[in-house]
Amino acid sequence: MSIIRPRLTDFHNILVTQEEVDFAIPFIDEDIPLYVDPFLLWKSPSMQDNSLHLLITNSFNHLGYLFLNGNENEAIELLIRASECNEVGLGNSKTKFGKRIGKKFANEILSPFTSIPQIQKSGFVHLEETQLLVENFSKDRVSDIACNFIQSFLIDFTIEQAEKYGIPIEKVKLLNVYNSKTNKFDEEETHLPVNPDSKSPIIFVPKRWLKQIPWINTDDYFSNYYIQNIHREGDELPDKIKLLNFNRHNYDVVKAYASIKEKSFENCKNDPLFNQIPVTSAKRKFTTITKLPTGKTDNADRKFEDNVCQLVTSLVYPHLDFAQEQSRTESGVQIRDLIFYNNKSSDFLKEIYETYNCKQIVMELKNVREVKQEHILQLNRYLKEQFGNFGIIITRNPPPPKVIKNIIDLWSAHRKCILVLDDADLKQMTLVFESKQRNPIEIIKKKYIEFTRACPS
Amino acid sequence: MKKEDVDKFGKIQSQIEGLYNEIGLLSKKSPNDAINKFKLKFINQILAEANSILSVAYKPFDGFDLFQEDEVPSNSDVTMIFEQYINCMEKLRTDNISTKEFVNG
Repeated sequence: MSIIRPRLTDFHNILVTQEEVDFAIPFIDEDIPLYVDPFLLWKSPSMQDNSLHLLITNSFNHLGYLFLNGNENEAIELLIRASECNEVGLGNSKTKFGKRIGKKFANEILSPFTSIPQIQKSGFVHLEETQLLVENFSKDRVSDIACNFIQSFLIDFTIEQAEKYGIPIEKVKLLNVYNSKTNKFDEEETHLPVNPDSKSPIIFVPKRWLKQIPWINTDDYFSNYYIQNIHREGDELPDKIKLLNFNRHNYDVVKAYASIKEKSFENCKNDPLFNQIPVTSAKRKFTTITKLPTGKTDNADRKFEDNVCQLVTSLVYPHLDFAQEQSRTESGVQIRDLIFYNNKSSDFLKEIYETYNCKQIVMELKNVREVKQEHILQLNRYLKEQFGNFGIIITRNPPPPKVIKNIIDLWSAHRKCILVLDDADLKQMTLVFESKQRNPIEIIKKKYIEFTRACPS
Repeated sequence: MKKEDVDKFGKIQSQIEGLYNEIGLLSKKSPNDAINKFKLKFINQILAEANSILSVAYKPFDGFDLFQEDEVPSNSDVTMIFEQYINCMEKLRTDNISTKEFVNG
């Protein structure tokens, strides 16, 4: 069975939504597009998170200590090993395998320990400050270094979560586990979930630590601190290299920025894996949809698909996790679909999972004045494998009686269920999304019940 | 009608009118918005009592007894049905008004 954009849980048929688990569910073929921000551990009310932050900082500062005391090679070697953590699978990689840094770059990263007196004396409080001092030291390195230094904790967390949700674990050998007692990387044999394709171990990361951009970052520093407080009007704006040089020679400025960020810690929140659009935005999108003409005039079909995609994915969250938007071509016509994971998170979803074998829900978008038989057949041909026998068409107007008859006949002959949602259904879904009186997914359930009543008994 | 039926009738009639006014306000603001499950539970409770007192002869619609939770009824659906119940209850009330004639002497 080929699930689209499979996650580890889907592969093992473990039906949980991202909302209900504490960790970011890893994809099998690609990375999770978020990063561990050590600041979230620093600001966390949990003492455990605070002590893990301390462990990260201490371990990084230990590299500085080695670097300053004649053990440059050992420090560089440790930093290189800490620079990539493939097991956690965070970032933008499509291959799930990142590259470690080289010796030259490791040397540059550790150079602030010698060139900046304050760091030489007291070390870093926030590892992320290195982004403001070293060129090309990016958020993925911050995240990977942090993950490597606390990998031992993450392994325990992963085993605990795997046991809680019944995710299979296997015996694996990890070659790069940091030992905070000896400050060295060791090999370790343990049990972890593995990637079913590559058999490489997978480590879960608590989703409360994940952000798209670290709280302390270069862009924020430049636009919200440097330009407002340091830059003089009329002066030329520094390029990145000049800015980093300035920071290295004026570390107090970086410290002042970091302390402002510390004071505004309450605004620092983890980023969810899926961002629901706000109610006002949902209403605006629905209004845009209703004003669009049917057909392809002025790219109306494209606009309809874009708006419906953003609207519907938010309306059905958290009951349905959005997997992917995809395009396919059938008989020379491009068709756009929305694919959702079905995690049986409500009685209705459980029923379509069990009755129609629907592991992923496909919603096909059609900006046409009238749904025709050929549209039903197009979706029907697509209903196999992970989609089972259930699909949804989102269109503008209710289907004509002959098409309704066609849909019912399809059920009678092949037990396939195709629901058609129109503007009125989207309107009601948007209304309940705003009023919170019911869940928008219940409107889809209502359509399903209407469909089952129309079927011959 | 017995005295206890009259009392029950009075209670249900005032409850339906109360809900009709309440949901009517919501319906004016947002007719297509759904009624939540909490409200629906009590609406159905009152409708069930009204059905028992109205009996088949006075019930507004043969095919309607209660709202189905899964059908996600809207504010305007509930207002429309309540209006029918209010009219039918009024019909039952007027049909049960009788006068006694007293002859002097």
